[in-house]
Amino acid sequence: MIDKLFGWVDDRLALSRSGRHLINKIFPDHWSFMIGEIALYSFIVLLLTGVFLTLYFVPSGSDVVYHGVYAPLRGQRISEAYNSTVNLSFQVRGGLLMRQMHHWAANIFVGSIVVHMLRVFFTGAFRRPREANWMIGTTLLILAIFNGFLGYSLPDDLISGTGIRIAFSITESIPFVGTYLGFFLFGGQYPGTAIIPRFFILHVLVLPLVILGLLAGHLGMLVKHKHAQFPGRGARNDNVVGSPLWPTYAAKAGGFFFLTTGVTALLGAAVQINPIWQYGQYYPYKVSYAVQPDWYMGFLDGALRVMPAWELHLPGHMIPNVFFPAILLPGITFTLLMLYPFIEAKLTGDVAEHHLLDRPRDRPVRTAFGVATFAFYFVLFGASATDVLANYLSLTLNFVLWAFRIMAIVVPFIVFAVTYKLCKELQQTPSAGKRQQFNLILRSADGGYTTVPAEQYPGYDQPELAPVDVEKVELTADAAQQDGDEGVYEIPRRYR
Amino acid sequence: MPDTTDTPAPEEPHAGSGHATGGARGEPVSLDAPQFAVAARHPRRAEGAAAVSFFLSFLSFAAFGAAYWQAAPNDVLGISLGVGFAAFGVALVTWGKYLMPRGPFEEPRPQMATTPQERAEFVGDFASRGKVAIERRGALAKLMGAAGAVLGIVALFPLVRSLGPKPNGSMYHTKWRKGSRLTSIDGRAVALDDIEVGGIITVFPENDVGGALSQTVLIRVQQTGDVVTGPGKETWGPHGYLAFSKVCTHAGCPVGLYQELTHQLLCPCHQSLFDVDTGATPVFGPAPRPLPQLPLYVDSKGYLRAQAGFDEPIGPGFWYRGGSNGSPQ
Amino acid sequence: MGVVVGALALASVLFSPHAATAGPGASLSSAVLASASAPNHRAALSLGRTLFDENCSSCHGVSAQGSALGPNLRGLGAGTVDLWVSSGWMPLANPAIQPIRKPALFDRAQTTSIAQYVASLAPGGLPIPKVDLAGANSAEGFSVFALNCAPCHTVTGAGDALADGLSAPSLHGVTATQVAEAVRTGPGNMPRFSTFTISPTQLTDVVDYVTKHIEHPSSPGGLSLGGVGPVAEGFVGLFVGVGVCVLIALWIGDRNEREDTDGHGDAHSPPGGEPPSGSEPEVAHA
Repeated sequence: MIDKLFGWVDDRLALSRSGRHLINKIFPDHWSFMIGEIALYSFIVLLLTGVFLTLYFVPSGSDVVYHGVYAPLRGQRISEAYNSTVNLSFQVRGGLLMRQMHHWAANIFVGSIVVHMLRVFFTGAFRRPREANWMIGTTLLILAIFNGFLGYSLPDDLISGTGIRIAFSITESIPFVGTYLGFFLFGGQYPGTAIIPRFFILHVLVLPLVILGLLAGHLGMLVKHKHAQFPGRGARNDNVVGSPLWPTYAAKAGGFFFLTTGVTALLGAAVQINPIWQYGQYYPYKVSYAVQPDWYMGFLDGALRVMPAWELHLPGHMIPNVFFPAILLPGITFTLLMLYPFIEAKLTGDVAEHHLLDRPRDRPVRTAFGVATFAFYFVLFGASATDVLANYLSLTLNFVLWAFRIMAIVVPFIVFAVTYKLCKELQQTPSAGKRQQFNLILRSADGGYTTVPAEQYPGYDQPELAPVDVEKVELTADAAQQDGDEGVYEIPRRYR
Repeated sequence: MPDTTDTPAPEEPHAGSGHATGGARGEPVSLDAPQFAVAARHPRRAEGAAAVSFFLSFLSFAAFGAAYWQAAPNDVLGISLGVGFAAFGVALVTWGKYLMPRGPFEEPRPQMATTPQERAEFVGDFASRGKVAIERRGALAKLMGAAGAVLGIVALFPLVRSLGPKPNGSMYHTKWRKGSRLTSIDGRAVALDDIEVGGIITVFPENDVGGALSQTVLIRVQQTGDVVTGPGKETWGPHGYLAFSKVCTHAGCPVGLYQELTHQLLCPCHQSLFDVDTGATPVFGPAPRPLPQLPLYVDSKGYLRAQAGFDEPIGPGFWYRGGSNGSPQ
Repeated sequence: MGVVVGALALASVLFSPHAATAGPGASLSSAVLASASAPNHRAALSLGRTLFDENCSSCHGVSAQGSALGPNLRGLGAGTVDLWVSSGWMPLANPAIQPIRKPALFDRAQTTSIAQYVASLAPGGLPIPKVDLAGANSAEGFSVFALNCAPCHTVTGAGDALADGLSAPSLHGVTATQVAEAVRTGPGNMPRFSTFTISPTQLTDVVDYVTKHIEHPSSPGGLSLGGVGPVAEGFVGLFVGVGVCVLIALWIGDRNEREDTDGHGDAHSPPGGEPPSGSEPEVAHA
């Protein structure tokens, strides 16, 4: 029956021809190649939970009176957006779980993109021919951050509303067009009238579509280029060594999707995120202390905090303070990030195709530069919590802020030097990072100790098998006949 | 970054490895080759683990269904769902990792760069055929370009015509006017004796209660006498009252934290600190300009009123704000 | 030593509970003295005096007139004294730092008697308020709290650091009376809120909101992470969320080279068993 159906479809779409290459796609066996999948799977979780949320969320800033189950809000005038978010948290079955899973998945989504990007950077996987895919990935990171911010803003609670206010100020700070942009985006002078519905449609339709499209391109290029891989085990520039999509990676990757979803659901069950009912409705004149954006906007918030109180005054015009940390800094950051493959190629003169990855230690300058840059943003990220840190560490706010101002400048240089030195040291230590042979410590009858190398743990120095070409597997006689219900291949003895 | 000192890892092809059953690369491989053996040393154990895991997910999903039916609390729902997914995933991964061919397998990877011949063929098709079609119809191509360009420009019109009003002068003034009464959020006018020394209240002009831009903090720093925060502001602080725009000059947050001991206003968002006694001048943090001060007077009935609006644009800076004092209202 | 005395003198100004500004505080909320009857009152005053002499007078002076080490308490009223003593801020070991909440040194009766004794020395100030939460509207309280209290104490009442080494303390563990006292008297760095800003009814509402919903926040979503918002959530998201997923990736993506020594899946070779022999022809040698 299935054979017949498959035959019918195959006759019309030639599935066997393209499908064979697809199921034979080789995935190199290395854990670090799975990190990007976390991003993919959390994005799927975001889509699924997000659809659930749109069934209940009302994207409107209109006033309503709250009549729900949460006593401290009952009778308050709140917006429909906030009202529906509180209601879906308290009165919709599974609503809170879906909301919390959505929010946790967003945190994991952006986080895994960053970790994935670090892996790609430090192993040199962005080099030719993958420069364009690196740029798509960078764009995806930017869009993920933007969409995260939009989603964070939608419930119209006290904390996210403050974030929108800052976003307006940042928009306003752009030279020439800032005020116009702000007015057009918000539908007028702050707080405007249209921001919730506009953010909503951007958040649930426009940006997800763009992300989906770019994701398709990202994965399409991955299939076209095939995975990059680490050298060794017979891996060369002109092959891919690992295990095929079918059945090995179908099971592994499929399992990973369910595991990622499971982690998200368990977080949604156990750890409360963004309890907006405790924050209350946003009003422009109300504010809470200890307001921060979600972590992926943290470096921006930190940059806003550590920026000295400078502004640029020109005749009749000005460039406001927030322009420098909130527009210029991310602008330069993401431009350099986009162009990094070309910059490196220019500086090293290496324009060859690379499918074999670097070990980070073998590229000490790149590695040190990357770690230093990351350290800079990590310091800025930390600076977004100056007040919370000052409170928990019992330090003065002034001290903490100055510490972060100094660290933002000093730490990258220290980190660069340390990383560079470490890479050089590791290069001199060929065995570093490899599995070591165990030693047995033996105590003799008279109390002395001696060390002897332990017997090899089985498999440690096992001679590796040579890779076999996945498309050159001999068909058994049964398979060649292509009939009967026994299956395509004769099942080898070892599977039984 | 130039890595002149690098010593890249050796990329020795097929470093010394012999060939397994199946002979040279590209030769047919039998399914009996060791690469097709399952990866696990103890497949039965792995199979057992996967079975247990699948069974656990079966139970958990069923529990989730029951919990959902009964409208169970969040943690029960989430844990049953999460354990279900996680166990399902563990089982699948166990299956894939331990019970499937150990490999390694390989597939060839074509270089991405095309050969000169391939490129020449493509360019030939594209250019030669296209040349005939386009060059003979130059006027058509230009017209098409013109129509497209107009569409492109027109498509931007909603941006400037309907998305929102133009700022015009609205950045430069608030709803505070000469004689505006200082009004609390619930609409009561503030009278002279309503605030104690060390007290703070958020006020609005009576025609814009709750206004995002006209929000103002009123602080009483002393019982009697005018508070002078600077030259030209001798009468702005009657009876110990001072009023400042509540919109931070840094990023626009409401500056709502009044440190009564030190007479300082702190912005909760980025911790800019303003010294109230000297006219809310910034003393710490990123805010570059003082909070604009609202000049006050007490009317004959004892109510607090504004002598005038703010004398500079409130809130964060913008391109057209002009010099350090901004444009007058 | 001189430094210490200097610091103490500075602190006595810094943490003055409005020694100089006991203004129109008399027109305060529907407060009544917590005392019951006259003989009890006399006994309480006597007890209060003893406790004051023993524990407070060394800094605040024998008749609460203040000294270089501690401010004048005369005319502050029982409410102020009650707040500072019941919260454990007083007695203060080191006046140079902002007092923090600690277990109160005196029990409720002792605290009240000290407060009444100090209040009896001079007129004025806030009596110990009696808060009756019957009929309080916690929604109104939440609204007033968000406008007037959340800017410093945070909207979840977690508290946070202010400038100059000061901080807005956490509101977890405060009593209804303390909230009412603090709102009206503005202890230390806190502004004071008059009956115009927060009406007597609104004060009851705020106390209701704080004692019910700040003290016992509704957290149906799981661990509340200290109520400090996205910072804590970000750490959990990164280190637990992404971290666990990366660990899972480590498991999934790890090569299987350890798993099979001899190519025979079913062989139950114990760990540390035979090293792989070269007898198997299909095994390649690295």
